[in-house]
This record gives sequence, C-alpha cells and structure tokens, in this order.
Amino acid sequence: MIPAATAPPSASPPPFTPRRGLGARAGDLILSDYFVLYLSIAYVAALAPFLPTLTAPGNIVNVMSNMWPLLVVAIGQTFVLAIAGIDLSQGSVVALTSVVGAMLITTAADPAVLAKAPIWGLVLTEGGGPFAGLMGGVGLAVMAMLLVAALVGLLNGTTVAVLNMPPFMVTLVGLITISAFAIWLTQSENIARLPESFIKLGKGDIVSVHIGAKDSPQIPRREVYSFVTYAMVIAVGVAVAAHVLLNRTIFGRWVLAIGMNRRTAEISGVPVRRVIIAVYVISAMCAAVGAILYSARLEAGRPTLGGGTFLLDVIGAAVIGGTSLFGGKAKIIWTFFGVLFFVLLSNTLNLMNLSSFQVDMVKGAVILGAALLDVLRTRLMQERRR
Amino acid sequence: MNLLTKFAALAVVAGGASLGGQAQAATICFAFQDLETEFWVAGHKAITTTLTEAGHQVIERNANEDANRQLEQVRDCVAQGVDGIIIIPQDGDSATTIVREAQDADVPIAVFNRPPTDLSRGIVVVADNATIAEAATDFVVEQALENATEDRQLNALIIVGDLGDPNAVGRRDGFRAAIAKHEDRFNVIEVASNWDAGTALANLEAAVTANPQIDLMFTSSDFLFPTIRSVLEPRGMWKTAGEEGHIPLAGLDGDATACQLIKDGYVSATGVQDLYFEAESALTAILAAIEAGDTAPNEVIEDPGFALTQDNLAEREMDMWGCVLLADGFLNR
Repeated sequence: MIPAATAPPSASPPPFTPRRGLGARAGDLILSDYFVLYLSIAYVAALAPFLPTLTAPGNIVNVMSNMWPLLVVAIGQTFVLAIAGIDLSQGSVVALTSVVGAMLITTAADPAVLAKAPIWGLVLTEGGGPFAGLMGGVGLAVMAMLLVAALVGLLNGTTVAVLNMPPFMVTLVGLITISAFAIWLTQSENIARLPESFIKLGKGDIVSVHIGAKDSPQIPRREVYSFVTYAMVIAVGVAVAAHVLLNRTIFGRWVLAIGMNRRTAEISGVPVRRVIIAVYVISAMCAAVGAILYSARLEAGRPTLGGGTFLLDVIGAAVIGGTSLFGGKAKIIWTFFGVLFFVLLSNTLNLMNLSSFQVDMVKGAVILGAALLDVLRTRLMQERRR
Repeated sequence: MNLLTKFAALAVVAGGASLGGQAQAATICFAFQDLETEFWVAGHKAITTTLTEAGHQVIERNANEDANRQLEQVRDCVAQGVDGIIIIPQDGDSATTIVREAQDADVPIAVFNRPPTDLSRGIVVVADNATIAEAATDFVVEQALENATEDRQLNALIIVGDLGDPNAVGRRDGFRAAIAKHEDRFNVIEVASNWDAGTALANLEAAVTANPQIDLMFTSSDFLFPTIRSVLEPRGMWKTAGEEGHIPLAGLDGDATACQLIKDGYVSATGVQDLYFEAESALTAILAAIEAGDTAPNEVIEDPGFALTQDNLAEREMDMWGCVLLADGFLNR
C-alpha cells in the first residue's frame, strides 16, 4: 500500500509530491474493495442508452429478486474458497434440502405422481407432509433443511480435514451421490402445494412501491414493484452475519490464515481441522437457505434444483467479486458485488435477446476474465509489498 | 418456399389469417424449456414463423431445461413490457407458478402443449393425451393378441415420461386403459425415462434383460424410438412386421422418425398430436386476448389428435406433422 501524504506541522509551503501515474491509479482501482461495484456501474451506464429496459423499475426489481438466492449460496462458497477449498456439492444440497423441506410441509400430494417414491406412506401421503397445517410447521421444516445441510457439510468437512482428501474430489462425489439421492427420494418428481407462509419467503413483499403519478383509481399490478422482500431481508441478514464472521472475528482470521498457508496456520495454533469442518458446514447451510428461497419462488420442492449451470453461477459470482481461488483472500462485500455483476450480466444478455447457450458462453468468458484478474491482483499486491 | 413452410403458412397463418389482420403488431415473449425433440423444434418453428410473418415481434427465451431460469426469463419479458407470453414450460408445477406470475403482472399467457397442473388459469393448449395414447395402444394390443396363443400371459412394456408432466400422466393413463380391456392377458412393465434418452436407455436395457419376452411396447414419446432401437437391435429384437420376433411398437407425438418407422414396418402405430392446430390455437387465443385487453384469459383448448397406424397410413399420413416433415426431407438434412 502507498502511504497517504500527510501535511507537515509547519506553515511552510507543502513539499513537492510527485503525481501518481495512470498505472498506479489503475492499480488502486483494481485493488479497491469496490472495483466490481464500479465495474457494475460502468457496465450499466454503458448499456443503458442501448437497453432502455435495463434501468426500468420492473427490471431493477427482477435483478434484485434474482440476486438474493444466489447471494446466499455464493456466501457459503466464499468461505470455502477462502480456505483454498471448493464446494461442488452445494447444488446437490440445494436439491436435497428443497425436497426435504417440501415433503414435510406440502399440504397435499398426488398419488398418481408420487406413489412410487420411497417417501410415499412414510413421510408423504395424500394429506401432505407431517408438518402440513401444523403451527410452526414451516419453521420446523426450515430447521430440518438446515440440519440436513449441516450433516452434509459435516461429512464433507470431516473428510477433507481429517482424511486430508482433496476437496474437489470429496465434494464432486457429494454432488453426484446427493443429487441422485434427492432424485431417488421423489423419483424425480416435484413436490408442490407448499403453504403460503413458506412461499412468502421466496416471493413475498414487505414493502411495495408505485413510481409515478396515480392516473387511475386502481394502479395496474405490473406498475407496483416489490421493494423490500422477505428474500431480500433473509439474504442481507445472512450477508451481514457472514461479513461479521469472516471479517470481524478471530474465526474469520483463522479461515483466511488457513487459505494463505495451512501449514503456517497449524504451527501458529489455529485449530485447522475444526475450522475447515465449520467452513463446510457453513457452506452447506448457506446452500440450504438458498434452497428455501429457490423452492419458495418456484412454489415446489424440486430434486433437480441446483443442477445445470448453477455451480458456474455460484463460483463465478464469488470469483468475479474478487475472492481468490488460491485462498486467503475473501470478503463478503466482494461476493455481494460479484453476485450483483453476475446477475446484471445475465439480465443484460437476456435483454439483448441472446440464446441461453450464448449467455452461458459469455458468462464462462467473464469468469475466466475474473480468474485472470485474480492473478493480476495477487501480483500487484506482491509488487506493492516489496 | 419449402413444403414445411408452405404447410405451416397454410395451416397456421391461413388458418389464423385474421391474426395479422385484426391485431396491431404485438410483442410476444416465447419462452421454451428447450428444443430437444422434433415436436418442440417443429412447434417452435410454427409459432415463430407465423408470428413474424404476421408482423409481430417475437422475443425468444430458451431456459435450457432450468425451471428457475425460465421463471427469471419470463419476469425479464414482463419487465420489457411484452404484450403477451407463450410458454413451453419445464413441467406442470413450474407452469402453474409462471402462469400466476404473468397474470399477476397483467400479461396474458398461453401454455403450449405441456399443461400446468392447475388448468384454471391461462390459455392452455393441450392434446387429449389419454385418448390418443389409448388409440395407439389399442392397435398394438390387438396385434400382440393375434400373435400369441390364447393361454399365454403377455408382457406389455411402457416407457413413461416425467410424471411431473401431466402429458406423461395422461399417456400412461391411456396406455393403462387400453391394457385394462384385456387385463387378464397382460403383465405391465413400467420403465422410467423422465423424458431423458440416457435414463430411458439404462432403464430399458435393464428391463429387457430382466424380461427377454416383450410382447408389445409403448413409448410415451416418439423421440425415444432411436433409444429403443439401440436396445432391441443388438438383441435381435428389432424386426419389421411379419418377421419372426417382431414386437408391436407404438408411440406418441407423431414425429418424422415415427413416420419413417411406420412406413418401414418397425413401428405399428403412433398417437398424433396436431402440432399445427395447437400452434394456431395458442396464437389465435393470445392475440385475441391482447386485442381485447384481457390480461388474464383462462381457457383450455384440447387437441383431439388421432392414431396413425399401419392400417390407416395411406389415408391419414399427411395429417401427421411428422410425415409432412419427412416428405420435406427433414431426416435427410
């Protein structure tokens, strides 16, 4: 870091300070916590004249709505990346917990669709799940989802920390087996008819706004925009808690220390194994919270949730934000901005009417660019430390 | 103008000539889950060609089989201020959610071919899957019974689709109804496909290995015929009608591959969805709703369909969209 110039105590003319070059200023910008935010603002400013819908209130609401579930899952991934690990099982945890939550609280199930599922008769009947209509049933289902996720995280973390197995392999196996288990539980069927109180978590408004004059007694529904939603409150709450945990506590320092150099951290007295296990538990529980938001917005427990290019979105958003794939460098605010940029990217590519294949190709290229930027940042920081 | 375009133009544009004439140019969002089968490809072409030729703007969104992505894409379309939405949903549950989202945003929506689990909202164009499947299965049941001695118990195999899709449920129901007419003669073997060729291949191989004597087979979608062939052929079970060991096969959709296989004698019958009728109905209904300012039109339009069999092939061949494509050289491209 370049120390800030300070004024001398005397009244004499200020000493000559050489003007900093463009390269140094660009370096400052790239190393700034807010680099991706600036990038997002520049991106919107550049495209807005060509895509007028981009800044329309309805579109901004969509961008925000798409951000929240992804943000929660990406926060979990941020912790894992911070210890130089990776959690490929997050998508499968989303699928499994989505099914588990839905089968407990669904208010009715169709035997024509679900009678062949192994949970039929045991957990699920035509009258729904065991917590259907129960006071606090949704809360119990949410707790069950978090518990299942915590168990998966515990298994992943223990395998990585105690058996010293590569996280890529451990979580890849988790991805395959847990996804298959989720599909087996319902025989690939969705579990719909979820209670309204659960659906609200994914798409319910707390504050809605209408922008503009009230020309008619009845404001058209498409002109009423969600401003504060339950999903937003949940995601921001998780983000704030994660920020405090990662960047304001000794636990967070341990996480980053392990990511920088596991051996050094061990010698320094960091309880490495326990921290690694805790990080994988956090990652899986974040995936479960993401499952709540995704299942609620789609109004069904879906064993195929978290499939396809979902992991690309999660890891991509975290890396674009600035979290290093090499570990030791991570901030929740970076992930927040990374998710914002990533969702904006998807949104604008859609508005450009590109096909889903083209959208995925562009996303992949942007993630590659972000990974290269990570290398550049690391070099820049090393040079400035010299 | 090739034969397909002519057919589409005649069957859809001409049928709905008023579409372009009566309504002002509208912006229609066409959100589809993917185009993995001939049916969806042909449906996509019929809808987009008709709309653009009638002067409407089409915004296409491909969700790549991701229900969440499709929901986000439909929300994007609403934000873009489209006048109406036509959707081919990932499944019946997501369709219900998306229809409600669109109607809550005052945008009329039509669901093409794959119906929501809740039929009470939106314009829903759907084939009478149960009746069509029953007609196709009836034909192969008769063939199987003719080929067997009276005392022998027969094995009827059905490849079911994704049962979260009401189309798959209807097709299974139709198959079951046909089998129920001779319940004492048939054992039913169900093979899950989840509308995925890889899943179907693995499960069918296991089923055929466990039950080498298959007396008839029904696939819930014609797009699985190549998969069936790849399982039966190495086992010497892929035979034309009249050959020793021929298995009466039936399907549903009415695609070009099925048409070719019926002509070649490998397949006995297929249930036909009238794709062009369905496309025309969806377009007519959505454009009429836009013209009338109806933001929440609710209507179920049923395609009665029919079964194309070895017996009626000569008369009804060109009523099947897949045979029209076949005549246009679709399989040679």
